[in-house]
Amino acid sequence: MVLEFFRRGGHTTLEEVEQSLVDMVCRTHEVYDAAMEAVFGGGKSKDTKRTVKSTDRSINEEQRRVRRALMLHAAVETVDLPQVLGYMSVVKDAERAGDYAKNLYDLAKYGANFEEAEDRAELEYYRDAVGGLIDEVAEVFAHRNTDRAAALIERADGFLDQYDDHVRAAYDSAGPASDAVARALYYRYLKRLTAHLMNLLTSLVMPIDRLDYYDEAKDDRETP
Amino acid sequence: MPGPVRAVLVLALLYLFLVGVRLLESGINGLGSDFTDALFENVTNPISGLFVGMLATVLVQSSSVTTATIVGLVAAGVIDVEAAVPMVMGANIGTTVTNTIVSLAHVRRSEEFRRAFAAATMHDFFNIVAVAVLLPLQIATGLLSKVAAAISRFLAGGEELGGTFDSPIKGAVKWLGGMIEDALDALVGPDRLLAALTILLAIAVIFVTLTFITKNMKVLVAARIERTLNAALARSGLVGMVVGTIVTVAVQSSSITTSILIPLVASGILTVRNAYPITLGANVGTTITALLAALGAGKVDGLTIAVTHTLFNLTGILLLYPWPKIRYLPVVAAEHMAAFAIRHKTAALGYTVGFFLILPIVGIFVFR
Repeated sequence: MVLEFFRRGGHTTLEEVEQSLVDMVCRTHEVYDAAMEAVFGGGKSKDTKRTVKSTDRSINEEQRRVRRALMLHAAVETVDLPQVLGYMSVVKDAERAGDYAKNLYDLAKYGANFEEAEDRAELEYYRDAVGGLIDEVAEVFAHRNTDRAAALIERADGFLDQYDDHVRAAYDSAGPASDAVARALYYRYLKRLTAHLMNLLTSLVMPIDRLDYYDEAKDDRETP
Repeated sequence: MPGPVRAVLVLALLYLFLVGVRLLESGINGLGSDFTDALFENVTNPISGLFVGMLATVLVQSSSVTTATIVGLVAAGVIDVEAAVPMVMGANIGTTVTNTIVSLAHVRRSEEFRRAFAAATMHDFFNIVAVAVLLPLQIATGLLSKVAAAISRFLAGGEELGGTFDSPIKGAVKWLGGMIEDALDALVGPDRLLAALTILLAIAVIFVTLTFITKNMKVLVAARIERTLNAALARSGLVGMVVGTIVTVAVQSSSITTSILIPLVASGILTVRNAYPITLGANVGTTITALLAALGAGKVDGLTIAVTHTLFNLTGILLLYPWPKIRYLPVVAAEHMAAFAIRHKTAALGYTVGFFLILPIVGIFVFR
């Protein structure tokens, strides 16, 4: 431990924090996959439950570790303050993305099951879209690719209104309340998950004061 | 600036710092013994010496500058080791003003401030306790300086107090120091004006070089400091002490180490009790500057006072830390004061100004 001082090379704190954020997104994908397996009729086995819980806990612990590392970095290297503030903000998004993935698992726990649903194809379409998005966010963030980040943010934007439309449709639905609630929450959680992932990406392309507004209307977000 | 270039710059600054200590010594010698005896008559009273060391450190915000200057004064023979010991103890107390000031930045958020102020003032209390026990002991028995003299004698190859010793550093410093002295001599002439100018130049060189050594070393080893502190965050005890010592030796400033700890404690990611051993380690680490200065001066007396500084801090730790019942005495006192300070915030400011500025000024006048 004391020998850490004499160790040569290694990653900087900010590089480690960036890697942690990528890891948190990857772990979110694990929770997301387990949740979707449960929601679409797969097992709500004890093993799955345990995996979801422990992975979510590990994401939370990673968030605390990142915050400590950023605080220490700010105390030593004041020149990196803008990045520290940015990452301090978006680490919350990485953690919240994990929370919404867990919430999707909770949907299955409460009885939601889309296995026999008439609109299964549509539900699966959004499931796969968000699943792909999680992978892309991890990759784009890991490579600090600002062009791809901007393109991905633009693409994800298109989904937000669609999720709102589906929530509205569930509200207006004349079908069983349980189906309507399950769909409303499903699309709401997908929207929040998408928004938090995009918030994470905005740290690559946006100034600090514009972070955190991804779920606002596009013109509100872009108001100077 | 690339790392290797910065490292070379630090070495050059370190060399200039040692030249500064040598210039100080020769400038003081140039003043003549009558003048210097009269000038430093006041510090022969140990309590006055303690306050002089404290005030000087508060004013320059660096115990390294004060202790390096004291080494220069002792090496020049204007102050003897016995008179210099209280001054280095005072420097130890004075250096804690920096993190106390840093902690005041948290004053608007009570809980943060409580933690920050406790982390800062535990350093004060530790030094006060150490001085309260060791200064009377030193006055009565000369224990610290006697042990330091024995160690210095050993390090200087058997030379007694008043003697000199050779070191490669001394030889290297002599070359540039001698050139500067000759140049000033040619410009001003060999009188007291030359001596005064040399002293002013020396103090400026010591102050500026130490400031830039600290700044550049901090940049050079920032990542290492982070890694090491990160690894030590949840630890305490010996590991913390070693970490505090290493980081402080690297940046040549205990104020840097302890000031880094304040926001960490304020934000709650480091507890006051875990910060405590790191702070004690910083106390030991900061003595490296005086030791370097003594090696450059090449006088056994200078080396003795530098070793006394290290011994004082090590003994302070041995006095409190190994005994669980009294180990956290400074922490508990600091926590009580912090609890009071969050209720009466002006008291925190009053303490800082009163203890670090008014008390030493009054003390110097009363005990001169």
